[in-house]
Amino acid sequence: MTESAITGVDPDESSGRAHQAEAASFGGVLMKVAGYAAMVAVLLLVAAPLFWIVITSIKERPDIYTQPAQWWPSPPTADGYKAATTDIEFWSYFKNSLIITTILSIAKIVLGVLSAYALSLLRFPGRTIIFVIVIAALMVPNQITVISNYALVSQLGWRNTYQGIIIPLAGVAFGTFLMRNQFLSVPGEIIEAARLDGAGPMKLLWRVVLPMSWPTLIAFSIITVVNEWNEYLWPFLMSDDARTGTLPVGLTQLQNNDGITNWGPVMAATVLAMLPVLIVFLALQRHMIKGLTAGAVKG
Amino acid sequence: MSQLSRRGFLGVAGGAALASGLAACAGTGSGSSSSGGGGGSANTIDFWSNHPGKSKAAEQKIIAAFEKANPKLKVKLTDAGKDYEEVAQKFNAALAGGNLPDVVVTSDVTWFNFALNNRLADVGALFQKNGLSTSDYVDGLYADYRYEGKHFAIPYARSTIVFYYNKDVFKKAGLPDRAPTSWDEFTQWAPKLQSAIGNGKHALILDDGANYLDWTFQAINWSYGGAYSKEWTPTFDDPKTLKAATVLQGWAKSKYLKTSADSASDFGAGLGAVLLESTGNLGGFKDLPFELGVGFVPAPGGIKACPTGGAGVAIPSGISAERQNNAAKFVEFLTNAQNTATFTQATGYMPVRKSALKEPSEAAYLQQNPNFNVAVQQLPKTRPQDYARVFVPGGGASIGQALDKIVAGADVAATMKALNGTISSAYNSQVKPKLKS
Repeated sequence: MTESAITGVDPDESSGRAHQAEAASFGGVLMKVAGYAAMVAVLLLVAAPLFWIVITSIKERPDIYTQPAQWWPSPPTADGYKAATTDIEFWSYFKNSLIITTILSIAKIVLGVLSAYALSLLRFPGRTIIFVIVIAALMVPNQITVISNYALVSQLGWRNTYQGIIIPLAGVAFGTFLMRNQFLSVPGEIIEAARLDGAGPMKLLWRVVLPMSWPTLIAFSIITVVNEWNEYLWPFLMSDDARTGTLPVGLTQLQNNDGITNWGPVMAATVLAMLPVLIVFLALQRHMIKGLTAGAVKG
Repeated sequence: MSQLSRRGFLGVAGGAALASGLAACAGTGSGSSSSGGGGGSANTIDFWSNHPGKSKAAEQKIIAAFEKANPKLKVKLTDAGKDYEEVAQKFNAALAGGNLPDVVVTSDVTWFNFALNNRLADVGALFQKNGLSTSDYVDGLYADYRYEGKHFAIPYARSTIVFYYNKDVFKKAGLPDRAPTSWDEFTQWAPKLQSAIGNGKHALILDDGANYLDWTFQAINWSYGGAYSKEWTPTFDDPKTLKAATVLQGWAKSKYLKTSADSASDFGAGLGAVLLESTGNLGGFKDLPFELGVGFVPAPGGIKACPTGGAGVAIPSGISAERQNNAAKFVEFLTNAQNTATFTQATGYMPVRKSALKEPSEAAYLQQNPNFNVAVQQLPKTRPQDYARVFVPGGGASIGQALDKIVAGADVAATMKALNGTISSAYNSQVKPKLKS
């Protein structure tokens, strides 16, 4: 302090100037450290509950609720998995979930792509109005329409059937919205060129527009599959037992209402229910990245 | 080019219309379907249950016995939700859309709204019509479903509150091996219990406001002479109710009390010395790391301070008379002395029939399970719940929220006064206009 006052040189300033390059690289290291720290923090935030689910699923019952918490099961047990697959008709729920999610996802993706294509690239009167109606549908939470949908489907005699669950859920305002905006972002020159080359509407969609929209389509597909897999309220209202009930409905059978829930089997069933979605995600994720880079190169 | 577009138009516009139309699908049920009750043969009894207390196996056993005794009738057991609220939600949807069940589980807080809106049949009258008797049901439990002189449900999975305690901690604290006779006595014990159980654990564990604290706190409130309401008039600002709420806040301030979303599991893990919870937990308290004590809810001076709870079974009013009669037969069978014994032993719920206690299997069971016997002995000391909690729509939830605030340290008098207003306005707007004077 006194020295700097005498010499009249600001030591901070001079050292800053002298070591500018090093400071930058130091900043780079710092940024890297901060980046890794943030990554670890996010990983912990996301992975800790997941880790806890997996760990709990292989714990013995008295070990689940203890203080201090037990971070490693000793000894691990498969009882939870056994109970989860035998206490309820797990595989029956699982099969229903697979069937319903598959059909529903395909239906939603096809409807979403086709309707978005029409609303973005075809010209016909009332196009904007239809789009506004679709967006309006997006704004209505499905909890509100549940009662009237129930009345309709129940009168059709579709309770406890796959179509009773699938058809009312097949509406895709979100997909239409997402894909339309994606299609609109495809340069008009390319579409014009394709049309001049004699591409029909389907060819235009399949060979030109869709290949340029893979990342969005894959993202939309993942969101759809995850949503349908986890859908609870509607399948719960529509199905009375394991004939058409989906996994989320079946899982509640493991929870003891008005008493103590044995969390081991609940967590085991949760792990089993997570796996298919995880596989779908991992499989599609690669394509998503491929699509992104392909677009960048062809630009 | 435009031609091509038009050709595609039909198919694609169809897709768009279907997409938007179905997403916001708004069909409405015509009145006829709900009164007709939709399809379903009269000989198949559709029983909507959430299998309270993991009772699906017990229910299936009873149903098999019923079908054997009544070869013409079939019973379909429907998974109607994970808790009473979900059953009510599903039933509500069915009321709008048809396909009504024949028998539905309704809890202490869900039945009244359906009864008020004429959605449930008078089971007392149905029983009489079919030559069945209701006089054997435990009077208090049957009376819980009375409104306007009619009964709208038959007691089924009924529970009460008991005082659970950790005997090891009580011994370590040098306290007698019994439940306290009053909550004031508990307050005197609390410091000893707290030092015996140690840091990070608590002398008392209660549910939190989102998980039935409004139910268990009734027992504390009544023991101080307070109440949530007298008939329809809320009495949250009554000095005695305020006193009970102040005691609750005092425990929280001294760190004796923890409220938990899963109180029974916490207690079972040894995190608390005392738990106030449903008898329905008794079946789940196995392999505890300590010795479990069960006692009466503290009730000084012999007053009745133990609320009943749990669920009954009801029959919808919107189904045909033939279906109602068959449903009544099934309900009677489901709750007859023998099946009551089967059901209570499987779950820990209260026997709803007086004669069930005389069943040899039940007598032997009570002898082997003295803890369960405590709950049964307490039955005559129970009292029906306050209207403000069970009959006012959203009443229980509002009370729970207010109690959460009080536990967190909010001003007792002001919170209770606000709660008085909330309950009054809910009553005035949603119940009063429908009450028959």
